[in-house]
Amino acid sequence: MMEWMSTIAAISPMRAWGIDVPNYFWFTGSSAAAFIISSFAHVFGFKQFKPIAGFSLLLAFVLLVAAPFNLIDDLKQPGRLVNFFLYGWENFGTSPMKWGVLLLIAYPVLILVEALILYRPYFIKRMEEGRGFSRTFYRWLTLGRASLDAQSLEKDHRLGFTLGAVGIPLALCVHGYTGYILGAVHANTLWHTPLMPVLFLASAMVSGTGLLLVLLPIFQRFFSLSQAIDRSMMATLAKLLAWFIVIDLVVRALWLSFAMPFGMQSRELLYQFFSLHFNMVVYVEYGLCLILPMIVGFSKLRHNLGIVIATGVISAVGVWLFRWNTVIGGQEIPRSMPGFTQYIPEIFGQNSIVSVASNWGIFIALLALVAVIFPWDEEMETHYQGVNNGSK
Amino acid sequence: MPNDPSRRRFLKQGGIAALAGATSAQAFSLKNPGRDAQDPRYIGDAKAHYAMVIDLRQCVGCQACTAACKVENAVPKEQYRTFVSEFEIGTFPHVRKGYVPQLCNHCDNPSCVSVCPTGATFKRKDGIVVVDSEICWGCGYCLNACPYDKRYFNAQTKVADKCTFCAHRLQDGLLPSCVETCVGGARIFGDQNDPNSEVSKMLATFPTSVLKPHQGNAPQVFYISLDSRLEAVHEATPMLDDVVRKELGLLDKEWPKLPRGVS
Ligand code: SF4
Ligand code: SF4
Repeated sequence: MMEWMSTIAAISPMRAWGIDVPNYFWFTGSSAAAFIISSFAHVFGFKQFKPIAGFSLLLAFVLLVAAPFNLIDDLKQPGRLVNFFLYGWENFGTSPMKWGVLLLIAYPVLILVEALILYRPYFIKRMEEGRGFSRTFYRWLTLGRASLDAQSLEKDHRLGFTLGAVGIPLALCVHGYTGYILGAVHANTLWHTPLMPVLFLASAMVSGTGLLLVLLPIFQRFFSLSQAIDRSMMATLAKLLAWFIVIDLVVRALWLSFAMPFGMQSRELLYQFFSLHFNMVVYVEYGLCLILPMIVGFSKLRHNLGIVIATGVISAVGVWLFRWNTVIGGQEIPRSMPGFTQYIPEIFGQNSIVSVASNWGIFIALLALVAVIFPWDEEMETHYQGVNNGSK
Repeated sequence: MPNDPSRRRFLKQGGIAALAGATSAQAFSLKNPGRDAQDPRYIGDAKAHYAMVIDLRQCVGCQACTAACKVENAVPKEQYRTFVSEFEIGTFPHVRKGYVPQLCNHCDNPSCVSVCPTGATFKRKDGIVVVDSEICWGCGYCLNACPYDKRYFNAQTKVADKCTFCAHRLQDGLLPSCVETCVGGARIFGDQNDPNSEVSKMLATFPTSVLKPHQGNAPQVFYISLDSRLEAVHEATPMLDDVVRKELGLLDKEWPKLPRGVS
């Protein structure tokens, strides 16, 4: 129909967001998921998640502290970070990016306080055993409450519950707002759907659980007191992962089954987009990274440790790819010229493969630091002993 | 010299000024400091509402506007505030050319403004949408929010940049540089609030259309005789040729265009 028309000249528009942005979204999402899994025990009282609740909470904290470095790296004027806090508040209602000012401060502070309360008895112990600097340091971490009587433990419990309960909507917001950032852009065919925050949350639960399936065995095997991997916990998490995948698939099905046949002007472009990325989306993102882990989680395979760890890796990677295909893919779609653009990240420099790798470096370093400061291993051990004693 | 009295006085005054600045309302602003201070460059002509009419019957695709804009606004190499897309319509020997000059539409409902988290991008009272290059932190949200791709990061200033309707020239009573240079007289600029302006007369006389009306941005750049099929090409398949891009290569190496035939 349009064959008789061709472009002689048009300009390639500049696109703003590179590899840092999908990485940022992946980090905040996985953090929200880790927090929610920890709240299973703290708020909803699911006893079987008790042993990993503390570890998962710390993981949520570290992921969220590492995440914003991606954003800063993506800025063209990172030195003007303060402007984000000082000006432009009149756009608060219409610029989801602005919500980040409040969320990215409130959420990590909340997790930190919750973790400090959870580990308070251990800090007190270390404070009493320690001397000099270490004593002072652990005194700070107790937030000045050094009593261990029944009343203050009860208070800890209540505070932990409240913070966990407040934290759930906050965790949902911290990741949901990133979905809003994209969903609010009506100029972008792929992004502009009210389902975007839900899509992001659903897939975040998948990546967060996947990450736990990778980190938990490493930490339990090499750094915990008993040096033993809790295989039944791994199987439980694998099944949880499978349920999260079911939710994710349902939301994605809703999204695509609406946008593709019923979307207005976007329909044609979405067909183009998905045929361009057919192999990646269908075979890799859906088949390999969602359906396969779901089969593992619902079948006996979930008792095989090696397979479960591999499942964790691929489901976490799959969600990263989904973030990539959404953030980068959305920007590939033409709006003022014919033809799709293609993004190839730089290797070095700002917004490059190396900067994302460095961000992972920051994440690992922070995780190690937090794991050294917080006695997650002792705390985890008490739950296992509790379980053993109970069953005897 | 540390003991130089004038220097000490300077430091003292500077310190007080800095303190005052930090505690004044401008240090924490709903908008941005320039607008709070009612700087005329931020307010514009409060009585006017500027608009442009592009009469495509007159456009010959000479790109004089493209060149004039680049010179006037010191737009960096390979970046453009305005540009004329060129199309070929029909098959040989029955062919003709089509042109669509494009620039920021200074939308009445600008999606670039509402998403800006620093207030760096805003709409002046006269309808001109501008970027405060001192405030912008280069997040790129506006680049993604503009349905017309009319923003870019200026390679020299490293902040979001775009057409300003040559606000600095308007201030001196001059026309935007693209308008002044247009050989066919295809670009007409003026105040919509003034019924006697050429723009108002054109808008009253001819039917006009805007690009992508469904986006709801209410563009203030109006086209006479716009072939809607030309606009459709913008959102069309990757199968179309782009001779210039093929010849000159790619503009931004991080975002090259897919090769022809990949779809
Ligand atoms: S054309 Fe784009 S940059 Fe210009 S005002 Fe409209 S949305 Fe903003
Ligand atoms: S790049 Fe600058 S002008 Fe654009 S949204 Fe970000 S801060 Fe605002």
